[in-house]
Amino acid sequence: MRYICMICGYVYDDAKEKVPFESLPASWKCPLCGAAKSDFKPEAKPAQKTAPAPASTKAAPLPTAQIDAPAHKDSDLKKLSPGQLSALCSNLARGCEKQYKPEEAGLFRELADYFASVTPAIDDASVENIAALLWSDIDNYSGLRSAADEASDRGAARVCVWGERVTRMLSSLVIRYLNEGEALLADTNIWVCTVCGFVFIGDEAPELCPVCKVPAWKFEKIEGGK
Amino acid sequence: MMKTFAVRNLKLCTKDCLCLYVCPSGATDTENSIIDISKCTGCGVCADACPSGAISMVPWFYPPQQPKKDSVCDALNAMAQSKMDAEKSALQISSSTNKDGLARLMKAVAKSERLIAEDIMREAGYMLPQSHNTHVLLDNLIKNPPEGFPVEAAEKLLAMLPDNEL
Repeated sequence: MRYICMICGYVYDDAKEKVPFESLPASWKCPLCGAAKSDFKPEAKPAQKTAPAPASTKAAPLPTAQIDAPAHKDSDLKKLSPGQLSALCSNLARGCEKQYKPEEAGLFRELADYFASVTPAIDDASVENIAALLWSDIDNYSGLRSAADEASDRGAARVCVWGERVTRMLSSLVIRYLNEGEALLADTNIWVCTVCGFVFIGDEAPELCPVCKVPAWKFEKIEGGK
Repeated sequence: MMKTFAVRNLKLCTKDCLCLYVCPSGATDTENSIIDISKCTGCGVCADACPSGAISMVPWFYPPQQPKKDSVCDALNAMAQSKMDAEKSALQISSSTNKDGLARLMKAVAKSERLIAEDIMREAGYMLPQSHNTHVLLDNLIKNPPEGFPVEAAEKLLAMLPDNEL
């Protein structure tokens, strides 16, 4: 049997390893990305391979008239929350940075900070509630992916691939923290990939991001203190 | 052909300085290592010569972004909201705890969720700062600013980034 890491795609092949996957201790981690043993799943047999979009969906692209529908109506502003607007503006700030427009990036960052400052506080913020939120996100990615596939929107599909993997890693780490407490993070570092958001625990950043494959220098070390 | 200009990524630059030798206008030879775009002719010779791949040619004007369907945007926006709720919770926990590990983990969660949400908003119709969507959004915010909104920053952005879909 072969087992696949749902976060980075690492394959644990019973045929090539000394210890069968089932016999590994619960504390065993993915050697590539550090994901928990529970983030592995048995490789699906070819016949039932995660049932991806059947060929018919690909063969029947949507009529152009539908695809041309405007992404947003002018009334859209009312529908976006301060949190969404903050992410929207900090995304555009990054877009300006990539275009080598530092002044514009700074202005979008100012807007992003404004919306972050008016985002209402969460009443029941707790690690347990974050764990529950991450869990429901993992669940909801399949619906998001269907919406993307139905619209033949491969950019949105890419967001699902990266986002779901990183969300699984976050969920895995938050659950481990709930079980192991401060011992999980004592005398070691936390690294965040500044491209896809993948989080890694270890003394040094991984050579390549297991999710988006950027080099180690794209990782940022999270410092303690306020 | 798109009209372009050269930019240098200082993180990749290994100071081989071939760009200085090949540039016909002297745009690459500056005291702060930033290529002088007022001199750059867009010929691309520096980018071809650079051994470290640190110079890119980027366009003055960007093509319109890909149109997005409302069904996709709605689904993306819902996921972004959840990500931003998690960011807010994580920041609150991080700033109120006195446990070093938890504070760092929550900072990492907040940063990660923000990056995921940014990527989602990019695909939800806000890929380009120059897009019509961005203009409509900024324009609406200027006309009906929420309390404390930095109107001046939004006005500057509208002036600096012409709508590339007009």
